[in-house]
Amino acid sequence: MSRTRMIVSEAFRSLGANLSTTIAATMTVLIGMFLLGMLVALGSWVVSWSDQVKRELMVKVYFEPDRTEQQINAVRTRLESDERVCSVEFISAAEALERMRQRYPELTENLSANPLPDSFEVQPCDADDTAAIAAGVERPPPPGVDKVNYGERTADRILHVARVIQIVFLVAVVVLLAASTLLIANTIRLSIFSRRREIEVMKLVGATNWFVRGPFMLEGLLCGLIGAVAAVLLLLLGKELALPAILGRIEAGAGVQALSFMWNAVILIVVSLVIGAVGSGLTLRRFLQV
Amino acid sequence: MQEPTLQDTAVPTAVAEPRREPAPAPGPGAMIVFENVRKVYEPNVVALDGISFVIDKGEFVFIVGASGSGKSTLIKLLLKEIEPTDGRIIVGGRDLGRLKRSKVPLLRRNVGCVFQDFKLLPNRTAAENVAYALKVQGESRTSVRRKVPEVLNLVGLADKMSSLPDELSGGEQQRVSIARAVVNNPPLLICDEPTGNLDPDTSVGIMQLLYRINRAGTTILMVTHDREMVDKMRRRVLALEDGKLARDERRGGYTSE
Repeated sequence: MSRTRMIVSEAFRSLGANLSTTIAATMTVLIGMFLLGMLVALGSWVVSWSDQVKRELMVKVYFEPDRTEQQINAVRTRLESDERVCSVEFISAAEALERMRQRYPELTENLSANPLPDSFEVQPCDADDTAAIAAGVERPPPPGVDKVNYGERTADRILHVARVIQIVFLVAVVVLLAASTLLIANTIRLSIFSRRREIEVMKLVGATNWFVRGPFMLEGLLCGLIGAVAAVLLLLLGKELALPAILGRIEAGAGVQALSFMWNAVILIVVSLVIGAVGSGLTLRRFLQV
Repeated sequence: MQEPTLQDTAVPTAVAEPRREPAPAPGPGAMIVFENVRKVYEPNVVALDGISFVIDKGEFVFIVGASGSGKSTLIKLLLKEIEPTDGRIIVGGRDLGRLKRSKVPLLRRNVGCVFQDFKLLPNRTAAENVAYALKVQGESRTSVRRKVPEVLNLVGLADKMSSLPDELSGGEQQRVSIARAVVNNPPLLICDEPTGNLDPDTSVGIMQLLYRINRAGTTILMVTHDREMVDKMRRRVLALEDGKLARDERRGGYTSE
């Protein structure tokens, strides 16, 4: 009990005594976490957007004009038994024409008859399976089916772009996390290095490793916490002030959402606490070999 | 108890007088036992080459020798800062080779250390520096408050309790470091050239203090280059030369006569 109190009082004491290094460490955490927070928000938004775009990918199965009801049902059964398929929607020729009329009124104005076929719109569970599902229906083509289409070119490009975006995001997060870890660890190392004499003395008068480490880890924890909270406040400010001005100009579906701010904040705080405490604990190991 | 003062330049005559002789043979009263201790620093620097000696409880022993003769290595071995390449070291009944790393802090609490460069924490007052050694061991606040003034009074710094090390003279700083080393009554006090940075007059005061601590029962092992002091005190001398024990005299001088 008195040990804990001692460690806490030692930690606060040295936070005050080494104010400049404390501030430096806190600022480092702040910058690192601010960038990480921005990246997480931006990245999760972009990933969500690419998911949205991918969701628009679907396989279309067009029927011949002389298809029978059984043939349609047979295809439906076949599609629905495929576990990669999430939903199958039947679009009758009349519905297709109605949609067409809404989208391109001038094209449909002078039509004497409905040239559009009946079709299925097949929604894959995973956009990456689009091509495979299409191939599955096409080969061999069931009776009554005219052709299967999934917008090969566009689909491939969208999938490619989405994959690139996700990889870039992931790499950026990893790199930034590594960079801020190193940066923070380095700051901690500097502050510990400037106090290695103190540590030497502690060890010589018989302080246990944990007794030496405790105050340092607590300091790291506090620096991490303060830095992260400041970063979260800055991000909040940015979200409330800057974001509306930018978002107004970007077209995106309603389903596109960044990771919620609260989760983002929680991630930042947890990450910086872990980096702060573990960073100083690990760095100390080298100096503890007295 | 007589307070040592700086004017008191003469080495106390009592020091030169033969007191009760320390037991000559290693027995259960041994404080330090070195058995064929060898220390080789990689790749092939032999720092200590088969050293054996026994220091009994209550002894006052000088270790002399030129730089590089292995004195510092010997002290580091005693504190288990480094491990011997070969041989056995026993301190206060503990075999250091079998002592677990986690128990090293316990060893150090039983061995006071005084260094040439004092090793005080610069941003703490004299009293806080001394208190630190107690706090590290989880001493209660009341006990710290009682013991710190007591020991600072013993070393003659009762009026400098709240001075920072920078505000103290070299001799005073060394007194603080001695106070820190003995505040928890360790049975063994190791001094690594405690007077190395001090002028002769101040050194005498420090020696008087150490002598008094020794009289109270603490075993003292002192590495020194202070020829005059060793010759005057006529205590046991262990002389190291190139990692070997060149001399072990009951009441020797700095050099062999």
